[in-house]
Amino acid sequence: MRTFEDLTYYEIFEVPINASSFEIRQAYRNALSIYGDDSTISYAFFTKEERAKILKRVEEAFSTLINDDKREQYDKILVDKNIIDSSSLTKKRPKVATPIFSAKSSGGRAVLRKIESAIKGKDLKAIVDDILSTGAVSGKDLQRLRTAVGIRIEDVFEVTRISVATLQAIENDLVEALPPTVYLRNFLKDYAELLHADPERITAGYLKNLDRISRSS
Amino acid sequence: MAHICAIGGGKGGSGKTFISANLGVILATHGKKVILIDLDLGASNLHTLVAQHHPKTGLHHFLNRSVKDLSLTAEATDVRGLFLITSLRCSLEAGNLFYSQKQKIIRAIGQLPADFVLLDIGAGTTYNTLDFFLAADQGLFILTPEPTSIQNTVQFIKAIYLRKLKLILKQDAFTILAKEVANESNDGVVMSPLDIVDRVMKREPERAKYLEGELNKLTFRLILNQHRSHIDSHLGQKIEKVCNRHFYSQFKFLGNIAHNERVSDSIIAKKIFVLKYPYTATTTDLKSLANRIVATRIEQPAIREEYAYV
Repeated sequence: MRTFEDLTYYEIFEVPINASSFEIRQAYRNALSIYGDDSTISYAFFTKEERAKILKRVEEAFSTLINDDKREQYDKILVDKNIIDSSSLTKKRPKVATPIFSAKSSGGRAVLRKIESAIKGKDLKAIVDDILSTGAVSGKDLQRLRTAVGIRIEDVFEVTRISVATLQAIENDLVEALPPTVYLRNFLKDYAELLHADPERITAGYLKNLDRISRSS
Repeated sequence: MAHICAIGGGKGGSGKTFISANLGVILATHGKKVILIDLDLGASNLHTLVAQHHPKTGLHHFLNRSVKDLSLTAEATDVRGLFLITSLRCSLEAGNLFYSQKQKIIRAIGQLPADFVLLDIGAGTTYNTLDFFLAADQGLFILTPEPTSIQNTVQFIKAIYLRKLKLILKQDAFTILAKEVANESNDGVVMSPLDIVDRVMKREPERAKYLEGELNKLTFRLILNQHRSHIDSHLGQKIEKVCNRHFYSQFKFLGNIAHNERVSDSIIAKKIFVLKYPYTATTTDLKSLANRIVATRIEQPAIREEYAYV
């Protein structure tokens, strides 16, 4: 292990050799939050003497790197000692783009693409026709269609944003757990559209089947 | 073979027992077989936090030799897959365990039939605490964002370090140095472990490499408990960095556990927190901690998949 004294000024601040003065200032502030006089960390970790020694080195590092002339001299020493490569001094770093929006929200679109490509490869017409042939559509029929496409219930949620619990209620004909018909109609429409089945007929068939279930019980 | 996690941390009241109990519950509810062992000898609490209010057997039966096999002292809890070995009924002097008894317990722990064995270790830096900690496959340190706790953590790390260092020195014919070290610490002032390493390096540079390698094998995992929103969110990472820079071993920060008033409520109600309050930030933090612990054991985290859409 290399002791703190062995670290170069750049390593103390954990910045690249061609860091901008902005980065150095920021890193200095970070270092002070660890090693500074009012930091709980350095209070717990070091004796007064150790801390003074470390802080002196941090100050030294900052005052050198923030001053262009001093920094140039320091770099020269590092190059002479073969600690750093002279080419890394002039190398420009490409700016990294910071996304404004979180990448998480685009998950639905990726899943949709996955579903579309899964549907493209399969012939679902026979299954859809079979489901619609009796006029009544049960939850199990919808589930059969979904498994034929080869997607999970969570994938349906990712695109339609219908909660998994509701989707499960729909697929299992859990009458008590189903939302009011106004919502259910739209949910079924979204579900059917996602799986390239006729939304009108699916919705009508499902509600018809539901009616039959509630009447028989 | 069971994966043994020791849960320690120098200061009392930092949440070692709370985290052990709830971690155990989370791992068990995800299909792992978990044995919790209360090794806070003389200050046993773990049974209360897993709602096992009247344990019938425990470590005392193993220590007084009425059972031979430690696994027979494990009692099933209400959580499926979660077992508890309490030390509630151990002698009041159990805190001062004999060396041979300690070795017996450590050997037996290694043979327990479970996926995970979680050791809840007491506060302080007595040899018992240190040795139980070193016996584990992974050591978790619990600290809170208070200077007192950070201080005790540093003391604990140094004490663990010194204990390990002495063992290495004794094992590998550094005897003269070991004696010197032992004598000096008997004067009442314990040398800083780093000083000892430095001394060995100066005197016997050819052995220094070996020593460094041995210490580098130690991995400590840090958990910042009772984290409140106004506290520097990078405190844990900063402590990790300082440890890695100024000690010879490896330190990994596993994450914050959010502070929650209801923790106290659940303890007063003698209920299991993660089951009583499943939709709190604290529970979410504990779950991701469980994930990371499983992930360090096997490459593919078994729990993550199940969490994905819940």
